[in-house]
Amino acid sequence: MAMRDLVSGGASCAEPGSSSSSLNPLGALANALIGSSSKTQERLQEIPTATNRISNGNFYEGGMEPFNALPGSEFDHPSHPSSQGSEFLHGFRSSGQDAFANAWDEVQNPQMPLFQGRDSLTNIPPNQTQFQPQLDGPPQRVLSNFLHSFVNSGHGGLPFRPTPLPVLGLSEGDKQRIRNRSSIMARHFFADKNEDFVNAQVNALLSSLDIETDVQARRGPPGRFQDLEDVWNDSQNLQNGPHSADGWIAEYDQHRVQRGNPNDWVHSFEQLHGANNWASEFENEQSQVASFGQMRGASIPNLAAMEQTRVLAHTLSQNQDPKFQNSKFLQFVSKMSRGEITFEDNQVKSSGPPAPGDWATEYQQQFNGGQSWADQFEREEFPPGPAGWVNEFTSAREQQGPVDDQWVNEFSKLHVADWADEFGRQVGEGVLGDDSWADTFDEYVNEQASVRQQAATSRGVYVFSEINPYVGHPNPFQEGQELFRKGLLSEAVLALEAEVLKNPDNSEGWRFLGITHAENDDDQQAIAAMMRAHEADPTNLEVLLALGVSHTNELEQAAALKYLYSWLRHHPKYGTIAPPELSDSLYHADVARFFSDAAKMSPEDADLHIVLGVLYNLSREYDRAIESFRTALELKPRDYSLWNKLGATQANSVQGADAILAYQQALDLKPNYVRAWANMGISYANQGMYEDSIRYYVRALLMNPKADNAWQYLRISLSCASRTDMMEACDSRNLELLQKEFPL
Amino acid sequence: MPVFKTPFNGYSVKFSPFYEHRLAVGTAQNFGILGNGRLHILDLNPSQPISQFASFDTSDGVYDVAWSESHDSLVLAAVADGSIKLYDLSLPPTSNPIRSLHEHTRETHSIDYNPTRPDSFLSSSWDDTVKLWTIDRPTSVRTFKEHAYCVYSSSWNPRHADVFASASGDCTVRVWDVREPGSTMIIPGHEFEILSVDWNKYDDCILATGSVDKSIKIWDVRNYRVPMSVLNGHGYAVRKVKFSPHRGSLLVSCSYDMSVCMWDYMVEDALVGRYDHHTEFAVGVDMSVLVEGLMASTGWDELVYVWQHGTDPRAQ
Repeated sequence: MAMRDLVSGGASCAEPGSSSSSLNPLGALANALIGSSSKTQERLQEIPTATNRISNGNFYEGGMEPFNALPGSEFDHPSHPSSQGSEFLHGFRSSGQDAFANAWDEVQNPQMPLFQGRDSLTNIPPNQTQFQPQLDGPPQRVLSNFLHSFVNSGHGGLPFRPTPLPVLGLSEGDKQRIRNRSSIMARHFFADKNEDFVNAQVNALLSSLDIETDVQARRGPPGRFQDLEDVWNDSQNLQNGPHSADGWIAEYDQHRVQRGNPNDWVHSFEQLHGANNWASEFENEQSQVASFGQMRGASIPNLAAMEQTRVLAHTLSQNQDPKFQNSKFLQFVSKMSRGEITFEDNQVKSSGPPAPGDWATEYQQQFNGGQSWADQFEREEFPPGPAGWVNEFTSAREQQGPVDDQWVNEFSKLHVADWADEFGRQVGEGVLGDDSWADTFDEYVNEQASVRQQAATSRGVYVFSEINPYVGHPNPFQEGQELFRKGLLSEAVLALEAEVLKNPDNSEGWRFLGITHAENDDDQQAIAAMMRAHEADPTNLEVLLALGVSHTNELEQAAALKYLYSWLRHHPKYGTIAPPELSDSLYHADVARFFSDAAKMSPEDADLHIVLGVLYNLSREYDRAIESFRTALELKPRDYSLWNKLGATQANSVQGADAILAYQQALDLKPNYVRAWANMGISYANQGMYEDSIRYYVRALLMNPKADNAWQYLRISLSCASRTDMMEACDSRNLELLQKEFPL
Repeated sequence: MPVFKTPFNGYSVKFSPFYEHRLAVGTAQNFGILGNGRLHILDLNPSQPISQFASFDTSDGVYDVAWSESHDSLVLAAVADGSIKLYDLSLPPTSNPIRSLHEHTRETHSIDYNPTRPDSFLSSSWDDTVKLWTIDRPTSVRTFKEHAYCVYSSSWNPRHADVFASASGDCTVRVWDVREPGSTMIIPGHEFEILSVDWNKYDDCILATGSVDKSIKIWDVRNYRVPMSVLNGHGYAVRKVKFSPHRGSLLVSCSYDMSVCMWDYMVEDALVGRYDHHTEFAVGVDMSVLVEGLMASTGWDELVYVWQHGTDPRAQ
């Protein structure tokens, strides 16, 4: 399977030449460069999800931003009460510029997630603290249910609330698609509501999916871009400037990266000129970008550029579109215009007022790290928009080679006195006020950085229980295994923790701990434990298999193949099948072939069939995966986790009813298998039987109230089943009430 | 009448112009927001459930399907990744699709086969363009780029092989002649986005539009300042309008209000029938050319219904 297919999520499709396109050329490039960590939403459901952030240094990818940085409260604003239809239209057609002051007020008292994100870290409303950032999760088709409740929110006219979801492993292409399509479709569903409502709905959806929310991929129908254009034209007339600057903007927007960190005004322009990667345009035109390099030490062009950005900032600021006002690009430009940011030798320098460890520095560090920009691009979401913007900018420049300063020259031809006065006057009047918003921005960026660090250190690290009665137990390992067999999983965890505290090098102890956590539906701990087991004994076959499966869950093909291949290599019987020279660059087809060979060699080895099943899940050949698991089950009919794997595969291949049967088998064999209970709920939810799904979630939670994912699924099912009356019980984790309401 | 359950959300249904028992259905996972798609070819069987003749998976949602007007085995699919796939049902599944045309930079939202010059077809896309294709060329013949926002639908005039209309989110319908460089007419038809357009099969000057403003409007292109008729009755955006192949004043529509409605724009009480059989948005609807009164619809409830006008689609 071509890596490209994986990247674009089109892998399940057998037809040739049809890999789905990434809408974003730059994103596609990045994907192509490092396609191995591609993801899609389909996963095996039962096995601990290994996270990308554990050992491969890949931890910035995917749902980097913690959910509690994305405030929910902003979406609670009631939509405008007044005349809905006309309000809706008004949003599109309004072209007055009199909202300038309002607009700037908004910048100063920002409502955008960006700034609220910062606030909410220090001042979290109590009801939002319930859900810790859930960065791991079992798999799934949660997405499907989630989108369902989004679509249905159109019927009731109820605001759609952001819900914390497990990381769904959406690729950039997927996110782009969700952003584009939900924006366009929402305007069809919610035509009755005003545009704020539509935006709030879409933002709620996107923020829950950890997709940047300050961007509307595709604005509403035209109308609004007209006023931006007018503003721009006015400013041009004012200046009698040459056409070149206009061209700059036009080109900028024409070729802007769709995936876009940035900002909405670009989208407006995009409407006019179509969308593309502006960065690549810079490359082609070999004009503008290079000039940044020239700015170093050249005060005159630098000044000119600064002044030009002031024009831009001023012009942009006059657009009253609130999303426009939220533009990170605007803030960036504004900063540039005040000389707080300059470009030196291909790098962004910040000379601005208090900006300890500001984003530019951060950017530099990243950049100087020697990684390719594409690496970074892939690994992190670039929560601080400007960094992403600059990154793209610089990368374009890097590729460009020959440098000329045409851009600056053209810019400096502009006569700028008028607007400069104007701008100065506004500053004097305090329209722009102090630099508080810029500071806020810096702080936000800093916090983002520190949050990221924390996250990096906390992931993959096993967290021990604080109070553990088994510490000091003469043989905690045996005790733990005994408890595990009895199905007392939470107790077993404590005993096994005592064991690995005593013998940190006991690979089996760690492995058992990992399995216990996995069956208890606590993925993060399960993975952390497995990683420790792997450290303790890199050749433990069971551990290698578990890790391979975990990475399959994340559709991290390279990592999964690495572990599965390693399993084969270290296997006493099959080690000879796998040639050692392959271990660097593995292809799915090769690995699958080795295992097929091995399975032919000893068809009675259930483990081989299990691995094959996992491999086929990786390539999304579900029919073959199911076949493999069934073969394995003939050999090991009492392996409950195998039944669970079969069920998960069937669920992924849209055979929900079969999946339920398989889960039932698993539960018959092991009634305390929390994960199977939760998976059962997921299967019911996928079939639209939400009431049933709720009962299973509640059952799973009764057994392990710490299964955060199950709480989230429960919440989604409650909303899908229109049981908003029980939402409160769910939020306060009132299991007693839930059990009474939803007995199984 | 029969019902067929699709694994994904229904997006489009079309009767074959060659076989009265055959249908093509386009579906998309997760409402077309993210995921795969599937093209189903279904066969109606007298007094038996609908059977599946073939199905083809796509890497992204199938937003629309169209039968060739010249070959009974050719089907086109408009795929959300911007591509158009051509399938030949006479070939084994492994040889399909026989062609993948990928020029649109955004979702391909609809596809319309030319009924009078049966080697050409149109695709409309969220990249704001309409493209003209012929079956024998690997690239598009022409791109029509005037709309300022997504083009949701385009429809050939049933009598003039070179004339078509396009409906866009920029709130206009444009009428084009492919021999002309630009559009020949712009109808600012609605205050909200226009999602669908279709020509009257018996009067080459009349077309219908369906809009997010919940209304359907009937236009005479000779006098397009005011609509001939405004059909109100849907509670949400009108997703698709389709004129009857058998009676000039009859048309069918489906809407995000989950209903399928039959209209006669020549009579005072224009709403002739309303079908509320879908439990989610009704997105695709068609009328059979070969069997008068035979209708099919599909929607996000993952069901395809086929029924005779005037009967209950859910009656088994």
